[in-house]
Amino acid sequence: MKRFQLTSIILIFLVFGVKSTTAQNADSLLQYMDNLMSAPKDKQAIVKIILTKKSGKEKVREAMMKQKGKDKKLYRYTKPESQAGISTLSLPGDVMWLYMPAFGKPTKISLLTKSQSFTGTDFSYEDMESGSYSERYTPALLESSDPENYVLELIPISKKSKYSKIVLYLNKTHNYPVKMEYYNNRGIYFKVATYKYAKQGKYWYAEEVLMTNLKKAHSTGILMTDIKFDQGLSDDEFRVENLKQ
Amino acid sequence: MNLKKFTEKILTFKWFIIILVAICTIFFSYQIKNLSIDADILSSLPDNDPDATLLKRIGEKFGGNSMGIIILETDNIFQTEVLEHVRSITDTISFIEGISSVSSLTNIINIKGGDFGIEIGRLVDEYELPDTPEEFQTLRNNVLSNEMYKGSIVSDDGTATLIIFTLEDGANVNAVAKTVINKTGALHLPEKLYYIGSPMLATYISDLMKSDLTRLLPFAFLLIAIILLLSFRSASGVILPLLTAVIAIIWSLGIMLILGYKMSMISNNIPIILLAVGSAYTIHVLNRINQLRITDRNKAISMALAYVMIPVMLAATTTIIGFISFIFGAYLEMIVDFGIFTALGTFFACLLSIFFVPALLDVFTSEKRNKYLVSKKVKKSFLSENFLSPLKILLFKHPKYILTTWSVLIMLSIVGVFFIKRNVDIQEYFKKGNPTREAEGIMIEKFGGSKPIFVLFKGDMQSPEVLKKMILTGEYMERSPDIYTTQSIADLIAEINFAIAGVREIPDMQKKIEQLWFLLDGNDVMQRFVSEDLDEGIIISKFKSPDNEAKKEFARYMESFIRENSTEDCQIEITGMPFVDITMDRSLINSQLGSITIAIIFVVIIVGLILRSMSSGIYASIPIIAAIIILFGVMGLTGISLNIATVLVASVALGIGIDYSIHIISHFNHTYQITDNAKIAIEDTIMISGKAIIINVISVSAGFLILIFSEMVPLQYFGFLIAFSMLGSSLGALTLLPVILILVHRKKNNDHFNPGK
Repeated sequence: MKRFQLTSIILIFLVFGVKSTTAQNADSLLQYMDNLMSAPKDKQAIVKIILTKKSGKEKVREAMMKQKGKDKKLYRYTKPESQAGISTLSLPGDVMWLYMPAFGKPTKISLLTKSQSFTGTDFSYEDMESGSYSERYTPALLESSDPENYVLELIPISKKSKYSKIVLYLNKTHNYPVKMEYYNNRGIYFKVATYKYAKQGKYWYAEEVLMTNLKKAHSTGILMTDIKFDQGLSDDEFRVENLKQ
Repeated sequence: MNLKKFTEKILTFKWFIIILVAICTIFFSYQIKNLSIDADILSSLPDNDPDATLLKRIGEKFGGNSMGIIILETDNIFQTEVLEHVRSITDTISFIEGISSVSSLTNIINIKGGDFGIEIGRLVDEYELPDTPEEFQTLRNNVLSNEMYKGSIVSDDGTATLIIFTLEDGANVNAVAKTVINKTGALHLPEKLYYIGSPMLATYISDLMKSDLTRLLPFAFLLIAIILLLSFRSASGVILPLLTAVIAIIWSLGIMLILGYKMSMISNNIPIILLAVGSAYTIHVLNRINQLRITDRNKAISMALAYVMIPVMLAATTTIIGFISFIFGAYLEMIVDFGIFTALGTFFACLLSIFFVPALLDVFTSEKRNKYLVSKKVKKSFLSENFLSPLKILLFKHPKYILTTWSVLIMLSIVGVFFIKRNVDIQEYFKKGNPTREAEGIMIEKFGGSKPIFVLFKGDMQSPEVLKKMILTGEYMERSPDIYTTQSIADLIAEINFAIAGVREIPDMQKKIEQLWFLLDGNDVMQRFVSEDLDEGIIISKFKSPDNEAKKEFARYMESFIRENSTEDCQIEITGMPFVDITMDRSLINSQLGSITIAIIFVVIIVGLILRSMSSGIYASIPIIAAIIILFGVMGLTGISLNIATVLVASVALGIGIDYSIHIISHFNHTYQITDNAKIAIEDTIMISGKAIIINVISVSAGFLILIFSEMVPLQYFGFLIAFSMLGSSLGALTLLPVILILVHRKKNNDHFNPGK
């Protein structure tokens, strides 16, 4: 009897112990990824957005991107010609400002829903949110035979999310995401993002991201060039008044 | 040509014929596994009609052809529970394979402007559905004040809402539509759901077609078998006519499939029609063989064949002409296809009755059967004694009364002809209470119509001039009593300009429009309104009235506007189902007149040529022309309209109905040549050919009458009207024609008719 009790205690300890280690691992792995992504104080780059339709037809946009901290982000579009000068400014607290030069004044955009496509791309506003992954998702480590990547399952904390889960492949050596598989709230795998990371100076950054909507066979590629880190961007750059330039 | 020698040759090669027929039948049966149904009405519209071509092109380019609609109807849409149900339908169908996008009250993007900037959100927050009267009032105001939602999402009275979905390119339309119905049905919602839109309609019609085919064909088969059994009272009398008809069906369907054709709403009835028509030739062959066997059983087959071959071939030729006549003047391609393949089937049935039936009979004839046949003579005279003999007496006694009765009937019918109505409205094709018909009704009553109208603009879709002209056109259209609302990219731009700049109009600067486009780019709704290259855009609208005059009035109303406003930089064209309906309606008359004129001319010439007497040709056509006039009279007086199916009746009736007169005339000529006595010839004709005609008309009519149980209203009338004209033309052949022959020959040979004098 005593032996049985001891065995049970050891077993319970083992089970819960292992489980809590796994949870901790998943949390810290996701935290590492967040840290890696938000490591630079600021960054600026030329972003090329390539939208590819099922027919193979491409549409290209180009913008100058500036980011300070986690949640101040400015896009100033340069291409196509017809949309040059359009700027979007994301500020803390889900506030977004849109500036269209032809109208001459910035307009505040309140996003009441985040599940729709971000200006025609395959990214939703939810995907483009500035908050860290650890704040938005509960992670769990999945068993995997992949020698290079951890496989994590991310469950959205917000009930408003359009995803039931995201399966994240995280590089074991450098903690950057390699692939994210998106499952809709019916549990169907419908979207996939693949990342190509590069290192510049001490920072890793996503040089290429390709988001593909499997159902629509539509994809959006984001390419970053001319990236610069820690330029000491001033807060003034992210002021609404300065959108009009 | 020596017919007797020819018929003897048929019997010599009987085994070859039987084996050849068997091989062909096995080969064509194997093709039938590929049978598929095409119930898409749009695809059947002809490419030479500019309205139809433009409609098809717009449907393909802007996805209208692949748009399905679910109508949810209840007493009040603005209730939390109802919105929850709309959300679950939206969620359920978004995940169906083959559906690319869904838009409904619970997922529509709403861009709202104000002093604070713009709000991009959903019309309804699907995670926090409104539940207070104030919230519902706001929602109601938002829906009804927005041009883009008016009449396209929630009905004005708030009792119905639409869930609109688009199919992916190359999706299996039937499978997707069925999954939509099954999965939404499985939600067991208390509200009523209706399904409409091209994919749903095509699937629904194809289901009705399958049900018609599998339900009605065996029924028709059984009914004809019973009639044949009662008439011939022998196994061969039942089996042979049905066997030839079935083989003819298999061959013609097999060839149809080999050539890559699909079953259409009309050709779906080829099997039933061929069952009825195709059995007729064998009935005549058998009837003659049986009659001659009584006297000379050994030579009966070849003798009978020599007698009956010409009339049977002639009858088949005229029927074929009736079907072929649809090629001229028919608007819908499916009617042309139907004409060709039914004609082919009729040709096969005729060939089989002349070659295959005698070959089979010769193989299976035995002494035992002959004994049986002799004893049958007594039984067979039942029809003769109770109907044909009294008829014969009546004809000779009162020919003028009979002629007068026919004349009065024809005069009355001519009056009726002027009351014939035409109908090309698809709603009328379904029975009352049918869900599709109800859905159409709701669309008309609550969403301003069900017939799509498109105005195509060719020009720069970001140019203020083009967009302003779109707004102008939309406003002009909405002044018509039959247009409730219009939608276009211009409305969307004006709405967003209102959100950003506070004015609900198209900006004067192209730059502004290009920048507003930034907010719309990539939105699913865009592909419904503008082409990928932004060089074409459409106004989408719906037409309310099913009335043809209203459609014509609207076409004239728009024609003048388009003429004045279309420029090189902004070319305007209009199309839509109402425009196709106008052409289809006009073509009904052309098609009717064309096909019937061609049929009559050819029939008179061919009958005249083969019987070597033009007067015979004209006599033969009198009963059928009378029957057709009466048919049109009945249609006019009873309100049965001329539509895509009933327009076929007259030519089919002419083709089949003239057979009766041909049998009478050829039998009369044949006997008259032998006896040189018109009275004896007429009596003989009525007693022998009359019997075959009665059996034939009963079995053919029964086959067609089965169509009364069809799910499609036009086919019900088609079946009834053909059966009715068969009755009319057979009565004409058995009364009017003999009376004319009596009156003509009485003048010439009075002594034959009054031998006592």
